[in-house]
Amino acid sequence: MNAEAKKPSVANKLAATRMAGRLVNEYWEMVWRAKEEGKLVCWYEGSAINPFLEAADIVWVHGEAYSAMLAARHQEGPAQQAAEDRGYMKELCSYARTHLGCAVSNQRNRNDADTGLTGIPSDDDIASKLPPPDMIISAYAYCSTGQQWDEMTSRLFGKKIPIFNVSIPWIWASKKDAGYIRGQEWEETSAYVARQLHDMVKFIEERTGKPYPWDRLRELMTNVKRASELRLEAMDMCTATPAPASFFDWVVSIAPINQLPCTTDIVDYFTAVRDEVAERVKNGVGAVPREKYRLFFDGIMNWNKVGWLAEKFARYDAAVVAGRYTHMAFWQEPGLIDASDPVMGMGQNYLICPNNHSSPILIDLIMDLCGKYEVDGMVIHASRTCRAFTNPQFLIADAASKRLGIQTTMFEGDVVDESFYKDELVNSRVEAMLEAIDARRMSAA
Amino acid sequence: MDSAQILSRFADVASQPLAYAKAWKDRTGGAVIGSFPMNFPGELAHAAGALPLIIQESEEAITVGHGLLFPFYCGFTRSTVDQAAKGDFAVLDAIMFGDHCVQLLGAADAVRVAIPETRVIFFQLISSMCDPWTLGRARETFLALKDELEEFLERPIEDEALRASIRVFNANRTLIRRLYEMRTAGTAALTAAEMQHIVKSSMVMDKAEHTALLEQLLAVIEANPPAAPRGVRLHLSGHFCQAPKPEILSMIEDCGAVVVGDDLFHGFRYISTDVNETGDPLDGLAEWYLARNTGVPCPTRVQNDVDWDAFLIDAMRKESADGMIVLMAKFCEPHMYYYPEVKEAFERHGMPHLLIETEHESMALEGLKTRVETFLEIVKRRQDAGALAPQASRGRTLT
Ligand code: SF4
Ligand code: SF4
Repeated sequence: MNAEAKKPSVANKLAATRMAGRLVNEYWEMVWRAKEEGKLVCWYEGSAINPFLEAADIVWVHGEAYSAMLAARHQEGPAQQAAEDRGYMKELCSYARTHLGCAVSNQRNRNDADTGLTGIPSDDDIASKLPPPDMIISAYAYCSTGQQWDEMTSRLFGKKIPIFNVSIPWIWASKKDAGYIRGQEWEETSAYVARQLHDMVKFIEERTGKPYPWDRLRELMTNVKRASELRLEAMDMCTATPAPASFFDWVVSIAPINQLPCTTDIVDYFTAVRDEVAERVKNGVGAVPREKYRLFFDGIMNWNKVGWLAEKFARYDAAVVAGRYTHMAFWQEPGLIDASDPVMGMGQNYLICPNNHSSPILIDLIMDLCGKYEVDGMVIHASRTCRAFTNPQFLIADAASKRLGIQTTMFEGDVVDESFYKDELVNSRVEAMLEAIDARRMSAA
Repeated sequence: MDSAQILSRFADVASQPLAYAKAWKDRTGGAVIGSFPMNFPGELAHAAGALPLIIQESEEAITVGHGLLFPFYCGFTRSTVDQAAKGDFAVLDAIMFGDHCVQLLGAADAVRVAIPETRVIFFQLISSMCDPWTLGRARETFLALKDELEEFLERPIEDEALRASIRVFNANRTLIRRLYEMRTAGTAALTAAEMQHIVKSSMVMDKAEHTALLEQLLAVIEANPPAAPRGVRLHLSGHFCQAPKPEILSMIEDCGAVVVGDDLFHGFRYISTDVNETGDPLDGLAEWYLARNTGVPCPTRVQNDVDWDAFLIDAMRKESADGMIVLMAKFCEPHMYYYPEVKEAFERHGMPHLLIETEHESMALEGLKTRVETFLEIVKRRQDAGALAPQASRGRTLT
């Protein structure tokens, strides 16, 4: 344990986010009870297709979320080891590796049960508690790794579990009319994805043996849309100085928007978040007590490091005000969702994952965010095994320095494999960037 | 030309693909259309009178490319970006692709920024291979690529011209497949590096010119059948977008192996499947796209009803191969995903294999050599012990 962790907390986290912890725990308890309750279980990664499943009373397990949960609880080790034992190499997406490790443990337990050995995971063994799937749906935007992960999961279970693939093409945006959520490519791709989602619903009907409850989906999407609007409203208020909430608060708020049951609880959650943010703005309270720097965070989260990084930046008096991961994903365009006929808008939101637009559009969006939140610098987390996020990072860094004239710094880490993370490097790189910001300010003064 | 001269011509083109393209362009005045591997049908560009060229990993050290792509990417993508940033792709009029490996997408984005004056045409090919709409979507994709190519080259690609190009490509593939059969049968003593040069140069050269050389080569070999090479019969597997370094292939053979088959992209994967020569040519190309993954399954696609591991075991039986060396390009995610399936299947069937990870940067061949020698020893000992029948307990994996 390092000395920093023992000091009292400096980061002024939103109190409302505590509710997320409770909701998340309740959700996982529901997942772990699924088989006892005779529920069908669907494994999926990537796009938030959970409302489609929830409406049909299918328990949904998002692979990344499971891996992130294990890492956040520092319990990812056994699953990663199980994956490694089967030959999954360390350079593979660590989300996938961790989740596949859960599948390996699951299979092992099942085989042990067949042979009368043990077969029953202990309550502490969260990796093994993941209920096996009755179906797999793959709907991964941009990253080929997501689709292959699902395929390998299906193979791990002996190809006995029905799998459905939704192809979500990358928006290459080379045509003259191309732009963010506009142009012929956007329209055609949206229609292509929506068509497949309708077929996915047929697949779900085949699994449940019941007509699809469209009314229920409309109801859930009404909640999602409202929760998303509230979330964006609260995010917008963080243009204030000091910023009332940080990137790390938004990281904690990913589960409520992306994966928790789409009941009114998520609306209540984001209402509380929005209200607290508004209150802070009114009182001039910041997420960092002495906000001296405002930073943008590019890259996916280090799930084993969320609280720790929040604390680290707070101690540097640096408010991380926005990020690609949090501010460009997760039902990011509620305006596209028509709750009375939600499929097209859902598909379009899947198309706007923070990587699924090629660099011309992506970089414009990031530069706009940096301008909007008036950042002084950009911290780039080069996640070793998530190349979907690292792909455009040199281009982003270049644009940030050339177009905005802001400082950037990079550090290597990973989504859920802590071994790729080097603390000293983060310290020295961030410190060097903050010093450069200071020097620039002095010379400007 | 004798066979040595023909093979040397293939080797030259394989090692200097862009120089070949430059010379071709100077000679013909035609357009050169580069493509990223592995599924863009060169027939489309050929039918438009252009030279289709599959972009190759360069032997050069990566320098400027370091500022565009991280070092934890496969050698192909890093080298491609590096070549673009160095201006090596000036000879290419456009680049086309439809594949979507996540690293390739990153490379494509960087290439477009590095060479803004070169058109990069993309339309994503469906990689989920057994959906009811896969065939239709593949056709739509090839149609979209064709439309954009027509617009770019300012000339239509007529169906008849496309059918003619398909015939030219099929003829070339057929001849290379013939060489593959002869190599397996021991009637064409081609080394693994020579075979690579043949296939790799076919990805670059004007197809008719390549075919004419192949015909000569076949005639020479058939007129003077060489003695069948002796050694441990091996299948080489893996290595997708980039060609394994010839020195690795030679080292493996120098250790006492004879390569009798492969499923490398710079090998059998590239020429495995022909396109229907009659009917609608876009239908033919879409069917080809599906058929080649059923024929030689690729881990970059997802297809629940075919198994790469089963294909490999079957291929080895047909080739009477005694062992398999898996060549894995470092950081190649599709390969890393599938490898445990292959490993387990080989262990279950008692078939030995050795995994070698390759890198763009120069590799310590000495250390590798020891591993290969040990592996071949084990294979030989199994043979001596008469352990030819598959027995689960005898499966050996060396890593
Ligand atoms: S590499 Fe990144 S985007 Fe791709 S599956 Fe893994 S976490 Fe998702
Ligand atoms: S399939 Fe493998 S070799 Fe090809 S681009 Fe992707 S990672 Fe590189």
